[in-house]
Amino acid sequence: MKKPSIPLGLVFSRSGPYAMMAREMEKSALMAVDEVNQSTAFDFQFAPHLRDPRGIVAAYHTACDDLIRTEQVQHIVGCYTSASRKQVIPIVERTERLLWHPARYEGFETSDNVIYVGAAPNHTVVPLARHMLDHMANAVFCAGSNYVWTWESNRVLRDIVTSAGGRILAERLLELGETGVDHIVAEIIERRPPAIFNTLVGESSYVFMRALHEASMRAGLSIPVLSCSLCEPELALIGSAASVGCVTSSAYFESVEGPENSAFVARWKARHGADSHVSVDALSTYVCVMLLARAIDRAGSADVAAVRRAAANHRYDSPQGPVWVDPDNNHCFLTPRLARSVAGCQFRIFWEADTPQRPDPYLSNLDLGSIARKTEDSDAIGKRPSHLRVIK
Amino acid sequence: MNRPSPFSVRGRRALMIMKDEREIALLRRQLHRLGMSVAEIEPGQTLLPPEPFDVIVLDADGMPIKSDPAPAWRDAPIIALVGTETPSRLKWLLDLRPASFLVKPLRSAGLYTALVVAFDAHQRRLEELSHVEKLEDRIRSRRVVFAAVLRMMRDHALSEEDAFALIRQTAMRHRTTIEQLSADIVAAGGMPNRTSRSA
Repeated sequence: MKKPSIPLGLVFSRSGPYAMMAREMEKSALMAVDEVNQSTAFDFQFAPHLRDPRGIVAAYHTACDDLIRTEQVQHIVGCYTSASRKQVIPIVERTERLLWHPARYEGFETSDNVIYVGAAPNHTVVPLARHMLDHMANAVFCAGSNYVWTWESNRVLRDIVTSAGGRILAERLLELGETGVDHIVAEIIERRPPAIFNTLVGESSYVFMRALHEASMRAGLSIPVLSCSLCEPELALIGSAASVGCVTSSAYFESVEGPENSAFVARWKARHGADSHVSVDALSTYVCVMLLARAIDRAGSADVAAVRRAAANHRYDSPQGPVWVDPDNNHCFLTPRLARSVAGCQFRIFWEADTPQRPDPYLSNLDLGSIARKTEDSDAIGKRPSHLRVIK
Repeated sequence: MNRPSPFSVRGRRALMIMKDEREIALLRRQLHRLGMSVAEIEPGQTLLPPEPFDVIVLDADGMPIKSDPAPAWRDAPIIALVGTETPSRLKWLLDLRPASFLVKPLRSAGLYTALVVAFDAHQRRLEELSHVEKLEDRIRSRRVVFAAVLRMMRDHALSEEDAFALIRQTAMRHRTTIEQLSADIVAAGGMPNRTSRSA
């Protein structure tokens, strides 16, 4: 017997500046849809309706408007950038639909009509900044793309680092898509910062990582790079030599241990090829579809209010570990992790939180005072690694 | 000076620095309904229309945080259109000293309030500036007044109180300010002997 069908909107840009990421996300959404449709655990199936805004911000509005009017979807999975999400929010709010948003973002937003499945800033930049202060350096050089993710990540990093007595050495920005990185690399080699925070995106980042690697080799330097966004498919694009050794903060790496993830990665590779890799955004898209399917199953309907209620606090043992929606802010409890990139386009995880962390999109629970006190304590009893210079 | 009412918006001129076509269309229509004229430029464009404007409507999400806003913006009140509420973006916005703001998504409601608040805030800011300027003038001339008082004390063997009273009374009689008369006293090396009142 054929299961009843529920229309599902999928909005991903197959061309444009972040098409590589979005294509991975679309592949992952379709994989999740197939799994739901074939599973006996769900007594419905999804009918996916794909829309491609081609990376054009205004086209997201049109795409979602069309999905809601023409295809009668209640639920949309998609968007990658904050600019595109802000285009969609007015429509889903006006028509009382739900956008399931897979990508991490900079926070400071909470819509009743968005389920934020990607990491909040307390999951990404905060643990990375703490790790840097405790184990690497208290001064950092920032290189990033000139847009909201960089501005906000750098601001949070600056707040944390300066409250611990450290400082931001420089903040260098490139326009999105710009690949003229030589002046930044030259300045880094000249100034020899103890760490680099890289918030460049896409091609800018790959070119930067390769140029930095070459220049560092020539100068006999090894400056650690920190990132909140680097993922496995990007390591392949950068190339193995230049992509190794980057300290990255993320709620998912392909190397996460556990039966759910092993099985997921095996299914991914069976479907997309043995040399393909799972990115955090792709995984998060899969989790979006699964959270939605489970909520529809619990609610007994695709009705938005019922699904929202059913999704709240309902734990899903996903490939990235337990995930559930915090009904206070519609963001997800996720497990932050820190890893170092290694050869073979993989990350070796060296830290993860004991339990999934409550999302804090406004960073209202970030206690800068405690970071300052902790730094004083560790300075006083000499816990700080002695090879680090204190730069004031 | 005749104080313009912030409630009368007809005939005023707005410059829209925005990029979203739907938002531009919505605000343009609403501004025209209110009887205002509208000029439009793209964010990042530095060449401004030659005519002065009474208000600037600025999409705060439309330009990079690190960009320098055109200096000409300082002359008119700014209504900021706010989408992204991150502190880094709001910090950039605060530096522009917006007179009022509208939260996106925009609706036809709210614009008139934002205009009235912006015109009123701008008028108050101008009045405060001119008040501050007056006070600063007075502070600057304090040294001169003090020198004039000393002069009068010495020349006419007066107490400080009486010397100041003499200067004040003379200034009143000549319909001038204490500061101006003091400057004249210091310049002339004594109470100027004048029969006509000074300008």
